[in-house]
Parts: sequence; structure tokens; C-alpha cells
Amino acid sequence: MSPQTPSATATGTPTPAAASAATIRTRDALIALGAAILALIALYAVFVDNGQLVSATGGYLHEFSHDGRHLFGAPCH
Amino acid sequence: MTVSTETPPYPLLPSLARGLAAGGLAGLVSGLFSLLLAEPLMDRAIRLEEKRAAAQEAQEHAAHGHGGGHSHAAEAEELFSRGTQHFGLVVTAVVVGLAVGVFFALAYALVHRASAFTERRWERSMALAGAGFLALSLLPGLRYPANPPGVGDGGTVSERQGLWIAALVIGVLGMLLAWQLAVRMRRHGSGAPARQLAAAGAVAGTLAVLWLLPDNPDPVPVPATLLWDFRVLSLAAHLVLWAALGVAFGLLRDGGQGTRKAPDAGQAQDAPDARV
Repeated sequence: MSPQTPSATATGTPTPAAASAATIRTRDALIALGAAILALIALYAVFVDNGQLVSATGGYLHEFSHDGRHLFGAPCH
Repeated sequence: MTVSTETPPYPLLPSLARGLAAGGLAGLVSGLFSLLLAEPLMDRAIRLEEKRAAAQEAQEHAAHGHGGGHSHAAEAEELFSRGTQHFGLVVTAVVVGLAVGVFFALAYALVHRASAFTERRWERSMALAGAGFLALSLLPGLRYPANPPGVGDGGTVSERQGLWIAALVIGVLGMLLAWQLAVRMRRHGSGAPARQLAAAGAVAGTLAVLWLLPDNPDPVPVPATLLWDFRVLSLAAHLVLWAALGVAFGLLRDGGQGTRKAPDAGQAQDAPDARV
């Protein structure tokens, strides 16, 4: 992470430092996007899925999270 | 290159780790809270549903000589026992906590990206938790209150899911509006009363917009006291989740940030967030 930035400027090579700052930003944006997508999938699985997400699970996912759905106010059959 | 004078990138990874840890912890606390208080109610609601289904089946038998009675409770029992579903409640709450923790950390990073990660973290964490509770729990929960098992028609489930997700989106948009109103009014020099009244107006407006959505189409054949107790406990579970998330995100220390925090620890010494 950030440790690279000060060490790079101290040795007088600004280009790698600049590149790493931009790289860190891009990497962080990708990580943020990935984390948000994973979190949405998790929420979909427990709150919305009725067996469509992984067809092999049938109603198992739904029934396992059944009480949580009711409690947190998600629609249930 | 001018990049070296730029502000350092926001420490997203420690923030995400903090969000996951705080969210998982909050989910566990909320799940255990509900396991103790709400599960006895859900068990009672399911027993009542079975009784209703049995009575209906007996009636159909008497009327037609054959009955296709097929209750949702009986169906559920084929897959998992109630004990497994009790455990499932806690697991579900932890999964929800982890996911909410991720969005909490991302929202925190977006809102406060211009200042240091550690700056006024307790106040900001609690404020964001309060906003999250309003946007995702209280406002949608007032429009579409939680229902105990035994309520909910399989035929309307996708319609209700659409309405519920719409209510969540409207809640989030309403809180974004309230926040932006307050930020812009502060920039224009408005005082705290005007800013806070405007934000409260935005929240009230959001509630009004939520009532433009159609009603939940399902009948609620559950005794009123059971329904009321369940809905209060449902909102309490939401409140426990957000409160624990705000507290944990505000207090948890993480390796890198903890050492950087040491120089300004003079002020933090008396503050409880220097611990944990």
C-alpha cells in the first residue's frame, strides 16, 4: 500500500511513485467494485433467491435462511 | 510528475477489513438477540399456521371428500427441521452483517474520502449507522412491516420482492438527498437549524414517496398481539445490527492505522476508542 510512495520519492524516482499511486487507486476501485458485487450476491442469496440462483439448491437456500428472511422483513412465500 | 504532491490514496483495504469485521460481529450479535427473543414467536406462528392449514384441510375434506391441502410449514419441514432453521437465522444474520459491513465501509470511504481515515471516526461511524438504519430499516420497514411465518402467498412473492427492493432503493435515495441538502446548505452558510430541518423534511418526503407504492397484497391471518410483538422484535433486530455495526466500526483498531494513531493519542487517552 502507501509505504511504497514515500520510499520511492526518497530515492528520487518519482515515476514509479506516480505509477504506484495511480495503480493503487485503480486497484482500490476494482476491489471496491468486486466487494460490492460479492456483497450483493450474498444479500440476493439470503433475501431474494427462491431456488433460481443455483438451481441445484432447490429450495434449500430459501428454507435455510427462512427465519432470517421473515425477521429482517424480506418477502417470503 | 505532480503525483507525489497529491493526497495519498484513501486506505480502502483497512477500511474494508474493518467493515467486514464490524459487520460480521454486528450480524452475530443481532442474530443471537433474535434467536433468544424472536424465535419463540416464529415457532408459535408456525404452529398456528399448521393448525390453520389442518383446519382448512379438514373443511375441504368434509366438503369435497378429498383435499389438496399443502401447507408451507409442512413443506418447510421436509427440507429442514426447526432447529436447523434456528441455526440458519444466526448464519443469515452474519451473512447480512458481512454484506452490510462491506457497503458501510464503501459508503464511509466515499463520504469521508477528503479527510483522514481516523478523523472523528466514532461520530462519523455512528452517524452513518443511523443513516443506514433510517434508509434501509426504519423507512422501508414502516411501509412494508415484517410478517411472521404463515403470512405470505407464494403467488405474490415476486411482486412483493419488487416492492420491497423499490422501498429499499427509495430509502437510500432519500438519505442521499437529505445528506446532499445538508452539505450544500452548509456550503451556502445556512445555520444548523435550517440544515437539520431541511434534512428532516427530506426524510419525511421519502416516507411520503414510499406510500405511493402499492400496498402489500397479502392477507395477514395472525393474532394481533403476535404480529405486533414480531414486528417490534424485527425492528429491534435491525436496530441492534446497525448499532453494533456503528459501535464496532467506530471502535475497532486495525494494525496499520493503530500505530499511526499513536502520536495524537494524547486526546484519545481519555476516549474509550483508544481501547479494543
